[in-house]
Amino acid sequence: MSVEKTTHFGYKTVATEEKQAMVADVFHSVAAKYDLMNDLMSFGVHRLWKRVTIDMSGVRPGNRVLDLAGGTGDLTRQFSKIVGPTGKVILADINSSMLNVGRDRLTDQGYVGNIEYVQANAEALPFEDNSFDVITIAFGLRNVTDKDAALRSMTRCLKPGGRLLVLEFSKPTNPLMSKAYDLYSFTALPFMGKLVANDSESYKYLAESIRMHPDQETLKGMMEEAGLTRCTYHNMTSGVVALHRGIKP
Amino acid sequence: MDKQLLAMLVCPLCKGKLKYDKDAQELLCTFDGLAFPIQDGVPVMLEGEARRMSVEEKMERSETAAPAADAE
Repeated sequence: MSVEKTTHFGYKTVATEEKQAMVADVFHSVAAKYDLMNDLMSFGVHRLWKRVTIDMSGVRPGNRVLDLAGGTGDLTRQFSKIVGPTGKVILADINSSMLNVGRDRLTDQGYVGNIEYVQANAEALPFEDNSFDVITIAFGLRNVTDKDAALRSMTRCLKPGGRLLVLEFSKPTNPLMSKAYDLYSFTALPFMGKLVANDSESYKYLAESIRMHPDQETLKGMMEEAGLTRCTYHNMTSGVVALHRGIKP
Repeated sequence: MDKQLLAMLVCPLCKGKLKYDKDAQELLCTFDGLAFPIQDGVPVMLEGEARRMSVEEKMERSETAAPAADAE
């Protein structure tokens, strides 16, 4: 008798090897309206969360940065300005639709020269050991099937002293906020998804996947397990989002 | 393809050096026998999207193609 390995796809249990394709379908579906939806869903606050991520990264001119699951390029745009002509930012995403939207947008806005694009899987990164000063993964880790493998792969690619920043939805710290957030994300979000992107299922997945993602302390432990040191996290918007940071020894 | 990026890229499976085939726009791992396509200048470094080389091609390629880091 064979035992099939399973994992979560939102609240559904699916075969491990199926998850990647199912997540891919969600993002092919939402790519075009992704930024608009982010603004609507977070009331624009996602811009602030990303701003804090850049500040906490300690990025400097000349640095090499990997913006993983970088989708439509919000973080890459800021990193590109800071690292300057002597630095390099690599925008990587597993999803070709998201990567194409990001590349077209950044190129149209004149961000060229120090940005490169790579289609890659976070679990098996195609970069040399010790390549990056900073690696970020913003709203991406919860969609990765094997999160431990991804954290190990990111640690491998960091230079000693390099920083990993994980920006992700997390567990609200305040019970009232938690109630309001549940109500909002399971009723308003799929409705907005239907209205704006004509795709309520994808946004239902997003809401469910957030609930299944490891909480603040669990993720911190996973980062330590992957070999990072001085791991800390900062709750933002009452823990709706948490920014974790770890340093490669 | 950007030279600096080319020098940083390795096979996502074995982490070995890749060979750049400029004409075919592919990055080759002769160890795993995989050819990763470069689409509009974007390397697609996914095992599932890579072309599998035949044994003959693997043998031939491991002798002829120049290492990616040294290519133009």
